[in-house]
Amino acid sequence: MRARHLPDDRPHDGRNVDPELGALLGEGSHQRVKDLAPSPAAPRSDEVPSLAYEADRGRSYYGLPLLKEPVWRWYVPAYFYVGGVAGAAAALGAAAQLAGWRGSPGPVRQRHPGVEHRLIGRCRLIATAGAGASAVLLIADLGRPARFLDMLRVFRPTSPMNMGTWFLSAFGACCAASTLPHLWPARRPWQRTVSDAAAFGAGVMGLPLCTYTGVLIANTAVPIWHGTRNALPVLFGASGAAGAASLLELWPPGGTGDDVVHRFSLLGKTLELALGEVFAYEARRVPRVARPLRRGASGALWRTAQVLSAAGLAATALSRRGSPLRRTAGLLGTLGALTLRFAILQAGRASARDPLATSEQQRAGRGGAAELTERDRAGASHPALRGVGAGRETEAAPREEHP
Amino acid sequence: MGFFTDTTLCIGCKACEVACKQWNQLPDDGFLFTGMSYDNTGQLGASTWRHVAFVERTTRLPGQGTPRDGTEAGTMAFAPLRPAGQPGTTSLLADFVAPSHIESPVPLGPTQRALSNFSWLMMSDVCKHCERAGCLEACPTGSIVRTEFGSVYVQPDVCNGCGYCVSACPFGVIARREDDGRAWKCTLCYDRLKDGMVPACAKACPTASIQFGELGELRARGAKRVEQLLARGVAEARLYGESALAQPGTEGLHAFFLLCDEPEAYNLPPDPVVPTKHITRAWYAMAASVVGLAALCLGAVAGARRT
Repeated sequence: MRARHLPDDRPHDGRNVDPELGALLGEGSHQRVKDLAPSPAAPRSDEVPSLAYEADRGRSYYGLPLLKEPVWRWYVPAYFYVGGVAGAAAALGAAAQLAGWRGSPGPVRQRHPGVEHRLIGRCRLIATAGAGASAVLLIADLGRPARFLDMLRVFRPTSPMNMGTWFLSAFGACCAASTLPHLWPARRPWQRTVSDAAAFGAGVMGLPLCTYTGVLIANTAVPIWHGTRNALPVLFGASGAAGAASLLELWPPGGTGDDVVHRFSLLGKTLELALGEVFAYEARRVPRVARPLRRGASGALWRTAQVLSAAGLAATALSRRGSPLRRTAGLLGTLGALTLRFAILQAGRASARDPLATSEQQRAGRGGAAELTERDRAGASHPALRGVGAGRETEAAPREEHP
Repeated sequence: MGFFTDTTLCIGCKACEVACKQWNQLPDDGFLFTGMSYDNTGQLGASTWRHVAFVERTTRLPGQGTPRDGTEAGTMAFAPLRPAGQPGTTSLLADFVAPSHIESPVPLGPTQRALSNFSWLMMSDVCKHCERAGCLEACPTGSIVRTEFGSVYVQPDVCNGCGYCVSACPFGVIARREDDGRAWKCTLCYDRLKDGMVPACAKACPTASIQFGELGELRARGAKRVEQLLARGVAEARLYGESALAQPGTEGLHAFFLLCDEPEAYNLPPDPVVPTKHITRAWYAMAASVVGLAALCLGAVAGARRT
């Protein structure tokens, strides 16, 4: 505690109270006192809470959640969608570049006044806009811009959120570098080279940006996310592709570009639907874990997403170039990909609220340490990742000494 | 350093909860009556770093009873020094009244008979300070660190409120405070440890249910206690998370417990695992996905060009 100096003109008779004594100095004193507005009345229930224990005797504590619900608001699933779409669009643009198409306006444009470069241009625009929107959504979720920079304090492979911030930063820088030369009034050849190289870099960075979000939510204790950790990153990748294709269907580049978008859309949407099934299958291995996909708001969202995606795929398959049906397909696909993210977040919330999902999953030997022990016994190697100052290597032998 | 919480000694007085709130100057939780037994806090949270759970059961805990049915409450649990199988009591009356008086059975009325099939389990819950901590490994800013005492500490000035640790904790301990936007949890009274004092909750516990000390010593104490309880017929007594062998998912806890029922009864996960233990698998799935997506893009472009 700091030394306090009382003004000398006041008598030191012990009755002077130093206001600094009232300052909170404890560990938790940074927490602001909650605004105790009259809270909504607790929901009335006919059952006696203390008897709730009897219903699942020995299996849960009054049915209270065992885990904390994810605190993420709508920004996060929206970010998952925007980032996925931007990453997949950048990857498509880079693939077109790799196939020999020229993306930037320049001498090539005069020689081949085709429309194919427009596909690359749209991909770059979607990627750049998506990178900007992603950063805005991430900052909105964190509260203030400086907190985004905090994420770049460390480089930690055990934290997908940290890795994702690095992916997003690299992706955003590449996108900016690929778009800025276009805003230059007089273009020079070197600017086109820089732009193409940066766009290719954005395409490469777009691939992990599109898929890491699956790892992000799989690396949590939430039963349904942790239980589907094999399917989630692939599902997010496919859904990113379907989302990007849907956007390009809504905003067709024309010409050969349309054919590319059509194929990309067919493949992406088929994969999205199929991997949705794989995801649900992986969740169903423990029935209680898959419950949020059948019940409540998350179940409704999940079914909506599946129906929208299937309808989008059907519309894409039936549509012809330039037909209004193709725009409908784009709209349905966009809504489907967006709903999918919200459904998965909502399912995670419901899953974390259910204490029995956690315990049944772990009792079933899934998601718990039993699985690791089993794998150790089978002789499979699972190298542990070393984070900077974070991870300790997985050790078979128990630690005897503690720091 | 760490905690050993012997739940058989817990009397549910909540002194630990109060001491924790007072020392760390935590704000209140809103004074809600949950109606669940005497538990008016419900769970650990951003402003509740110690939580006393009251498990009501319609079964008897072996060794637990009332003077009316011949066994003084807690005879078995409270008499660690008395050899098993001998009559004894911890009652203050024991000095004045012959034990035979206390232990002579008194016929029960119907109400008492109904109530005799009843037992409490009380447990003072706290952050487990896992040897391998999910929150620490998930934290994207490096805000969560391991201290020189082996505890897991959240630096509030670095925390950016992303809420990732909240979902990464397999015990549901750490929570984000909605009006503050940062994550908070038990610090194992880091400031007290720095000055050579024991944590506030352990200091305040009147029955030595919360014991603080070197982990090796605590483990030995816990093992001995379980042995005693098993000898006295408390067949369900077990330690929870005392070592890496007992709980490979977290590689052992710095706050382990002696329980008298399945962990689920106390809202503890039966086989918790730090999510990061499985992350390699997820990164592999992502690598496959990256390759697949690249192939998808190239295929779409190459296919269309041929037409």
